[in-house]
Amino acid sequence: MRKRLSDQDLDILVTRALARLPLERPSPAFANRVMDRVQLPPARALVLFRRARSWAAQPKRAAALATSYALMAAITLGVVVPWVSANSAGIRFAFGWGVERIAAFGREAGLSLASWAVSTGITDVVRSLPISGAGVWVAVGLVVTAYAGCAIGLHVLLRTPRDKHDEPINHAA
Amino acid sequence: MPLGKDLQTLSDQEIVALARGGREAAYRELIRRYERPVFSLIYRMVRDRALAEDLSQDTFVKVLNALDSYRPEYKFSSWIFKIANNVAIDQLRRRELNTLSLDGAPDARTAEDIEATALQATDRAETPLAELESRELGALIEEAVARLRPEYRSCILLRHVEGRSYEEIAETLDLPLGTVKTYIHRARLELRAYLEPYR
Repeated sequence: MRKRLSDQDLDILVTRALARLPLERPSPAFANRVMDRVQLPPARALVLFRRARSWAAQPKRAAALATSYALMAAITLGVVVPWVSANSAGIRFAFGWGVERIAAFGREAGLSLASWAVSTGITDVVRSLPISGAGVWVAVGLVVTAYAGCAIGLHVLLRTPRDKHDEPINHAA
Repeated sequence: MPLGKDLQTLSDQEIVALARGGREAAYRELIRRYERPVFSLIYRMVRDRALAEDLSQDTFVKVLNALDSYRPEYKFSSWIFKIANNVAIDQLRRRELNTLSLDGAPDARTAEDIEATALQATDRAETPLAELESRELGALIEEAVARLRPEYRSCILLRHVEGRSYEEIAETLDLPLGTVKTYIHRARLELRAYLEPYR
């Protein structure tokens, strides 16, 4: 004896069958094929760098940047070197004063934190440090290092693009 | 910065934000989450595995290349299903693939494929309830869905296979809520009518 399905039963059956339909799976290399066609956005810092390079890529702008750099270097050296030479005694005094202050602060802190450490010998140690014309050389070294860094950065910014990742960004895009 | 495993715990919106920042792992996570639902939807729309794979790829490429235009206040799933549906509908309109061969799916090449995808119509006189619920019903339903109008097909697949709400379907397909309900009601009637001889 066979029972005929009611409309409601058939509806339930249809709904259940639809819900049971399996999720189909694409081929295993699907994700890779998609990724081959997707354009990944570059990192923000890289975008800014490429824009800066794109801006500086025009010969006039590059020449202006290089000239500005050379002028600034000349002016700075022209001002700093004579100033350092003329004020080396003052610089030495200021450097020594700073060291003295730091030593005094350390000494006071040490005294307040540990009353038993009344005689640490720090002052004697600091006073015995060989501080003379070294301050001048430190200042000159810092300036030279900073300018060398700037020169390298400018070279990277202005060099000719070599691969597709170096292509300047189109501002209109 | 979440690692690959941690990405699985993030919401779609958070994954999209990472992808916008250029994280390839985030792109792959979006593909992993949606490759099967999107491929299933498109495959059931066009009934051709190779074509469905191409269209699914097109869908993902469109979506992933346009992540900047995605608005986080909307569900990502609705957005990707909308694009997948549009891609499938466009293809159906171009090639009029909205019918299914009784001899099997169009991509069936070998005898085994043809047999596996062919309509498994059982003898009407011997089709009790238990048999209808058996394995053949899935094939019958696939066949019946393939015969629906594409608009009805999208609605019924999103509703019952993907488990989307009426509101989500309306948002996905850019249809009024009432139209979605009507389409699903009519689709059910058509499915019922198709199965009428077998009950």
